[in-house]
Amino acid sequence: MAERLLTRFTFFERILHWVVGVTFVLLLATGLAFAYPALFWLTALLGGGPSARALHPWVGMLFTAGMGAMLAVWFRDMFLSGTDRRWLRAIRHYATRDTAKVPPAGKYNAGQKMFFWVQGALAVVFVVSGAALWFPAAFGAAFLQWMRLAHYLATLGGGLFLIVHVYLGTVAYPGTARAMIDGTVTERWARHHHPRWHEEQTRP
Amino acid sequence: MTDTLSIRRVSASPDAYIPISALRSGGPTYAKLVDIGACIGCKGCEVACKEWNDLGVEPTANFGSYQSHRDLSPKTWLLMRFNEVEVDGNLNWLIKKDACLHCEEPGCLFACPAPGAIVQYTNGIVDFNQENCIGCQYCVTGCPFDIPRFDAATRKVSKCNMCVDRVEVGLEPACVKTCPTNAISWGSKRDMLALADQKVETLNARGYENAAVYNPAGVGGTHMMYVVPHGDRLGDYSLPSDPTASPAPMTALGFMKRMGAYLMGFGVLGTLVHFLRYGPERLEEHGGHGDGPAREVPSA
Ligand code: HEM
Ligand code: SF4
Ligand code: SF4
Repeated sequence: MAERLLTRFTFFERILHWVVGVTFVLLLATGLAFAYPALFWLTALLGGGPSARALHPWVGMLFTAGMGAMLAVWFRDMFLSGTDRRWLRAIRHYATRDTAKVPPAGKYNAGQKMFFWVQGALAVVFVVSGAALWFPAAFGAAFLQWMRLAHYLATLGGGLFLIVHVYLGTVAYPGTARAMIDGTVTERWARHHHPRWHEEQTRP
Repeated sequence: MTDTLSIRRVSASPDAYIPISALRSGGPTYAKLVDIGACIGCKGCEVACKEWNDLGVEPTANFGSYQSHRDLSPKTWLLMRFNEVEVDGNLNWLIKKDACLHCEEPGCLFACPAPGAIVQYTNGIVDFNQENCIGCQYCVTGCPFDIPRFDAATRKVSKCNMCVDRVEVGLEPACVKTCPTNAISWGSKRDMLALADQKVETLNARGYENAAVYNPAGVGGTHMMYVVPHGDRLGDYSLPSDPTASPAPMTALGFMKRMGAYLMGFGVLGTLVHFLRYGPERLEEHGGHGDGPAREVPSA
């Protein structure tokens, strides 16, 4: 049964997503290694302690570039509409699979849009505080200590969002991950998860 | 003697990593006492430090002070700071022997993320182990006395190690050995505190009524202490009056890291529980999102 496929992400969008995704996971792993002694062994991902410390900010630059491009490419699709506000109020039904009570989403649902904006804002926190920690000689000790706190809180926020993002994108919603692999989804998937987008795409 | 290098604390390592022998050890706890009133500013200690630790010469220039260098560096672990201050109409040198104070509660060690890069021995010495250092310079921000110095070429930090290799074999640090006026004393922390009190009394008798011991409580006391004739002008000696090993942002960071570990743990667990409860969303079992009354598709 050959099902009709809809194109969800262009090649360029997929590249951007994985640049941000891979760099984010590397930064998360090495960052957590710096934050938690029990995880220090994760620095091995970037060649051990000293080289992980030297490379983390450079990977951060790549992450920032990817994130910047992503913001530029997607921001127009990500503004919240009235339906999105109703979606957010119904988020409980979304989480409990009471799908009939969830307002129909367009290309992105309100949860995805929030994820986008929150990660965008966190990226700013990461770059600003990370840049200070990168060149500590230029700043005072107290300021750097606050920057460590900010950098960590951003990590915590980003890490929590990442857990949910990966869970929803893989095991929770089968058929979703392929959107970021070959760029397509099935029509049934689209009708189910993003009915208004499906309608736009299939309108004759 | 064998106990002098028992380990008390190791950076970025849970207490459990510390060998049991350290807990048993009642070995000596040393301290260095610097009597600033007895210092004649000869800088012999600076030279002794350079020699013993093989730090090499750093060219310097006259910048209008008797001070040898402007600042500490990875190659200058000890600097006599010649603070020129007017006291009661007279010019005074309020000299500071600027080097690691070997804090009982070392802010540098608490700030360090690399296991084993900073070690505190039960004898009180705080030492950097460059082999394990990742070069992040967090210790620099953690030290309330601005002591560790980063070498951009090797990407490691260094500072005074209290001549740990001499102390280990029963010798005093090189600066103590060399001081021609005995302004620097060496012994157990208890003896040095008693000696400090005596010195303060002597200074008081000579009319220095504000003479004081510098052994700040905010870092649990230090293993290099000063006797300062003008205890009311700590700032003029470049000595912080209220140093702390756990400033507010670091306390907050420690707390948030603990909370964060739980939150991330519960996050992973939460998705697992959610999956066990709801499983993968099958397109055929449920209607699509918004198939119920909430659905308002603009009829195009
Ligand atoms: C975007 C640009 C970024 C830059 C320039 C940057 C830079 C830095 C620097 C210089 C440090 C100090 C290194 C050390 O502890 O040895 C650091 C630490 C850290 N980074 Fe980043 N980083 C960036 C992004 C990220 C991201 C995206 C994450 C997490 C997903 C992250 C997580 C961490 C964590 C957890 C620490 C340790 C914080 C602490 O214990 O105080 N960083 N970062
Ligand atoms: S003076 Fe600074 S470097 Fe020395 S032990 Fe105290 S905190 Fe560490
Ligand atoms: S620079 Fe080295 S010693 Fe200092 S905090 Fe970082 S890893 Fe520890």
